Amino acid sequence: MSDRNTTGESSTKSDGGTVIADNTLVARWEEIREREATVVGVTAICVAIFPWLFSRAPVISDVLLGYQSLATLILIWGIFAVGFDLLLGYTGLLSFGHAAFWGGAAYAAGIVANTVSADPIVMVVAGTAFAVLLAWVLGFLSLRRGGIYFSILTLAFAQMLYYMSAAPLAFLTGGENGLTGISVTPLFGVFHLESDLPSVAGTLIGNWMYLFVGVIAVLSVAAAYRILNSPYGMVFRAIRENEQRAEFVGLNVWRYKLMAFIISGAFAGIAGSLFTIHGSYVPLQSLYWTESGEIVIMTVLGGTASLFGPILGAGLYLYVENIVSGVQQLTIPFTDIVLINDFGTYWHLLLGLVFLVVIWVAPRGIWGAVSDLRALVRRLAGGDRR
Amino acid sequence: MSLLELDDVNAYYGESHILRGVTMNVEEGEICALLGRNGAGKTTTLRSIAGATPPNVRSGTVSFKGEDVTGKPAEDVSAGGISLVPEERRVFPNLTVAENLHLAEVVNNKSNTWGRSLTFEHEGMSTEDVYAQFPRLDERRDQQAGTLSGGEQQMLAIARALKQNTDLLLLDEPYEGLAPKIIEDVEDAVQRISEDGTTILLVEQNAAAAIKLADRAYVVDQGQIVFDGTAEELREDEATRERYLGV
Repeated sequence: MSDRNTTGESSTKSDGGTVIADNTLVARWEEIREREATVVGVTAICVAIFPWLFSRAPVISDVLLGYQSLATLILIWGIFAVGFDLLLGYTGLLSFGHAAFWGGAAYAAGIVANTVSADPIVMVVAGTAFAVLLAWVLGFLSLRRGGIYFSILTLAFAQMLYYMSAAPLAFLTGGENGLTGISVTPLFGVFHLESDLPSVAGTLIGNWMYLFVGVIAVLSVAAAYRILNSPYGMVFRAIRENEQRAEFVGLNVWRYKLMAFIISGAFAGIAGSLFTIHGSYVPLQSLYWTESGEIVIMTVLGGTASLFGPILGAGLYLYVENIVSGVQQLTIPFTDIVLINDFGTYWHLLLGLVFLVVIWVAPRGIWGAVSDLRALVRRLAGGDRR
Repeated sequence: MSLLELDDVNAYYGESHILRGVTMNVEEGEICALLGRNGAGKTTTLRSIAGATPPNVRSGTVSFKGEDVTGKPAEDVSAGGISLVPEERRVFPNLTVAENLHLAEVVNNKSNTWGRSLTFEHEGMSTEDVYAQFPRLDERRDQQAGTLSGGEQQMLAIARALKQNTDLLLLDEPYEGLAPKIIEDVEDAVQRISEDGTTILLVEQNAAAAIKLADRAYVVDQGQIVFDGTAEELREDEATRERYLGV
């Protein structure tokens, strides 16, 4: 994590080799927070209460105007963004063609559902496998070049796929109409994804669809956390900082970059497959370059090189796109005084402004701002700690 | 057979001919200094050895332990036992000290598991040994490397190189930009490493400091070797020192 250096002085090593941690609450909290179980546990709790807060909680949900299906969509894009940040934030590679893996997996899952089996798990496995293979090939070709050339190559390959599915492959993909007629079968043959969960779980989490997506989202976060804290994650960060130095150290930079690309493609594939399951439909749009652009904006908005930032970014983006765009009149809160009519139609403009402000005020994104704030609080609470 | 042999190496940056037939060798166990003015070709020589591009080595051979390594990619040369500590910002600033050191293990695993039939005279140091050698780094394990002082960063870069399976350590201007007191610390470290048996090729502009440690020295000027002898001989050869080193 980005603020690990703040713990530098919190433990000292004695001659006997035992670590004497100073016993302040702050230091202990740091240790706990670093542990994987805690990260995954907190993620699971947040994911579990999110739909209730967003769409059913008193007052909050009335202000937010959230709804269950959007909560699911936010998690799906969140998975995509977490994987994208592995590439952009941690390895330092800006792909502008991730729509290829998102849309490719969505189509693969949809086609498998229509021809082989519409079991949600089969669809996720098939979509992800397709995305991984595709990422392998496109990464192999695109990573021959660095910097802007890499970005342009990924963009070009993704657009090739878009035009392929628009016309030449229309017999498979449904062309301009998108892929229709997908009816997802119940999970494990028993649980209808659209039906509500029983009792308290139903109030809290909502339907089986959200539970299914939520479990996969938590697993994805756990996987990303594990990768980032493994030697692989370390090498990714080393490459981001200085590619040539990493080579001098003796690392096969190209191979690691390809690996980062494939892993991030796999996350996009999981998310794309879930998108098909969620919507029972694959729009041609899902391969278009705007999707690649959206994931870049979400990730940067939330904060690159952080695990959770991109999820926040995805949430904010989708919130503006789906909720704010539906607002008819902007009023002064708790009054009827209208400030702007047809407010929702300006949602693109609003999103642009939000993006501008975030980049201007907090270049490290929302999560970066949160981290800075936390560091400030810790400094005030912890006295002499740097 | 010398540990490292350069035979008539001609290296180019684009069309400019930088190294003009450099021939030199480094014997096992010694500290060899490569001296010369700014732009004489010192760093180019090191980069040619380490497999960095540019420069392009168009003719001549670089051989390490008798094996031709000319034109091999940098990562393979490094995994094969030559560690380069490049000049200036030598570490990964946003990785912690411990992570910087751990990178060496990743490389060691690679050279151990990829079935390369490599034998190393000097297995990489263990983490404990490294921290024992460099207590300053031990104190700062969890600190980001970019927040270390210049001298500490240099120590860290050397420590990382030592943790790797290293038979030849290439040091590019290790004293550059360091205060005299810190230079002494780095000198001590280099001396200790040498006593442990690692061969060192030391590239320096600071000739006086380099000669102090070195067994033998080469002087390079305009891409050619103009002096080849023991450190003692160079110390006494005032003409060469004045003409090519300005000291």
